[in-house]
Amino acid sequence: MLIHRPDGRITTPPAVRAPSPPVLSGRRIGILDNRKPNADVLLERLADRLVERTGATVVRTETKNAAIPCDDQVLGLLAEQVDVILTGTAD
Amino acid sequence: MYVDTPLTRELIDLPDGVDLVAEMAAHGWGDGLPLVAPIPERVNAMLAGPTGGSTQTPPNLDDDAVIAVLAPRSGEATRRIVAVNAVMAGCLPEHLPVLVAAVRALARPELNLRGVNATTHCVAPLLIVHGEVARTAGYHGGLGAFGPGNRANATTGRALRLVLLHVAGATIGDGDASTQGGPAKYGYCVAENVDASPWPAYPSTVGVDAPSSVTVHCGEAPHNVHDMESDDPVRILDKVASAMTTTAQNNACISQGEYLVALCPEHAATCAEAGWTPRDVASYLFQRARLPAAELKRAFARRAWEPWMEQLGGDEPTPMTAHPDNIRVLVVGGPGKHSSVIPSWGMTRSVTVPVTGHPLVDGGPTPC
Repeated sequence: MLIHRPDGRITTPPAVRAPSPPVLSGRRIGILDNRKPNADVLLERLADRLVERTGATVVRTETKNAAIPCDDQVLGLLAEQVDVILTGTAD
Repeated sequence: MYVDTPLTRELIDLPDGVDLVAEMAAHGWGDGLPLVAPIPERVNAMLAGPTGGSTQTPPNLDDDAVIAVLAPRSGEATRRIVAVNAVMAGCLPEHLPVLVAAVRALARPELNLRGVNATTHCVAPLLIVHGEVARTAGYHGGLGAFGPGNRANATTGRALRLVLLHVAGATIGDGDASTQGGPAKYGYCVAENVDASPWPAYPSTVGVDAPSSVTVHCGEAPHNVHDMESDDPVRILDKVASAMTTTAQNNACISQGEYLVALCPEHAATCAEAGWTPRDVASYLFQRARLPAAELKRAFARRAWEPWMEQLGGDEPTPMTAHPDNIRVLVVGGPGKHSSVIPSWGMTRSVTVPVTGHPLVDGGPTPC
């Protein structure tokens, strides 16, 4: 019995993460808070630990709302200012 | 085994007698309920429409044109793929144009499908069918409209969910992070009961003038409003306002959130007999559905509110949404005195679009 697949094609392939830098010492790290409750707590503590252990510098910013993607403008600025971005979600 | 053909895309060759639900589940497809096998003959019949047509008709290239790209998977919805899911859900061919219109609505940016699908909230797209197609294709807006028993409502709602699962990628734990899920995620489709409404059809209130149309409102399951005693709008609508003013909903911290107020015909008649229009109802609810600013701020440290709302404090009555236009009123249901409030998920806007290409409405099949 032949049946049709129900999913169809995808327009763009899934995004692929850039390779991680081998060391964080001296790097510029961006903290992108998605404004989910508790995301700020997690990211702040993570940033503090990284600064202590690696001497990295940290740039903090946030999205407008957890329910919509981050503005391209914000991402563009971050891309110029930092080498690594930490983000995540929480509840 | 996958069989590639240039016009029908990928087909899967299954052994005779296979357990279709299990086979589909192995691919990550299906909603857990029994499925109708989407064999080419059935899919071609779905595409041919209710007036018939040969199931052996060569594939129409328009059926493979992309009509929407659905997030988060970036899945390409074509008329054929929508038809495949319609067959699986048990739809009839006359339901396909409604589904296609709904899929177009899902892709509108203001609906924010990525967020709707991916959130931890229980939101599901509610599909509301308006106009001629509701009558000709058998959609139900009367007694028990949100419940079981009507094929058009049940299968179209289910098919839209299958499209979300398969094309949009709203699979549990992957593209759908809903903490508890929700029964509305199986299927959520009703018709507007315009025949029992004292007011003009809903689409005309949002600027859509077409013989047939659909509205997609991404919200929670209906919250009941019960009033069997009142003969004036105020007492009824104060109860509606009560159902709107809870800090337990996502809308409470998002000022662009919408409230769909589905009045039963008897409650709507009470309002209309007193001279109230849907806009009057919305304006009244905007004034009445308020909580003290301090209570809302205590409930939500992080808010997506209009700046003027952030200026409110203490006991100042703060509206549950920033504008009366965010309160959408229409008539659903049959005899009895139960209405409902359907709060949106918050960061989403309802969308109303015309239904085109319905042979029983337009006089012949046209590409959707």
